[in-house]
Amino acid sequence: MMSTVGGVQIGIATTSAVSGRGFTPEELAEHAVNEVISIGNNSHPVIQAQAEAFRDDIRAVMINYLRQAVASNNTTLINRFRDAGHPELVKLLEV
Amino acid sequence: MALSITTAMPTSFKVELMKGLHNFTGASNRFKMALFKATASGSGTFGAATTNYSQMGSDELPSATGYTQQGKLLTSVTPVADGTTALTTFSALTWSSSSFTTSGALIYDTGDSNSACAVLSFGGDQTVSSGDFQIQFPTANASSAIIRIA
Repeated sequence: MMSTVGGVQIGIATTSAVSGRGFTPEELAEHAVNEVISIGNNSHPVIQAQAEAFRDDIRAVMINYLRQAVASNNTTLINRFRDAGHPELVKLLEV
Repeated sequence: MALSITTAMPTSFKVELMKGLHNFTGASNRFKMALFKATASGSGTFGAATTNYSQMGSDELPSATGYTQQGKLLTSVTPVADGTTALTTFSALTWSSSSFTTSGALIYDTGDSNSACAVLSFGGDQTVSSGDFQIQFPTANASSAIIRIA
């Protein structure tokens, strides 16, 4: 018997929304990790465990660097506020 | 009548692929994503029969509060093979400081007269209020990628 399987297929995009604020480093890291690493349900349990551990490591690294990026960008903004004569606005960036 | 959106790859897009009209090579900067209105705010039907961005018409979100009509440019990823499946994807796309409600999106090719490439339903209305709205694409592999030829 001969058969063919295939075709042009479309995946499922997902959406995320946060109101009254932007995304946190933790939320963005979760999005990124999900985009980079996919773990199949049918994988061998040992492989799944390794992949989950790897995903956790990648997530932790991403969160660290994303937090640094936010802090670094705030430094840039603080300098801009001060240069523009609005040092009082610096307080808005303090967490 | 409410807006009806079905996640689908337009039939016209499949034909256009065979004609070589779409180039997903990275940095081509030609694909855009536009957002539909909330379900109750529109009236059209979109899915496999959708052929062009122009069909969105009044069913596209208006330009306001973080959204600009015609949508945003997508960053495409150069197609690759995963096993016997060819695939491509896009980088996540974010609308910042936005307030709107949307129920789906259209990916279209500005390099091919705005022809439709994918119709995406969000499975219901998605609302953002003075915040960020992000579209994430699935993992780029043979079983999940947003656009695949198996």
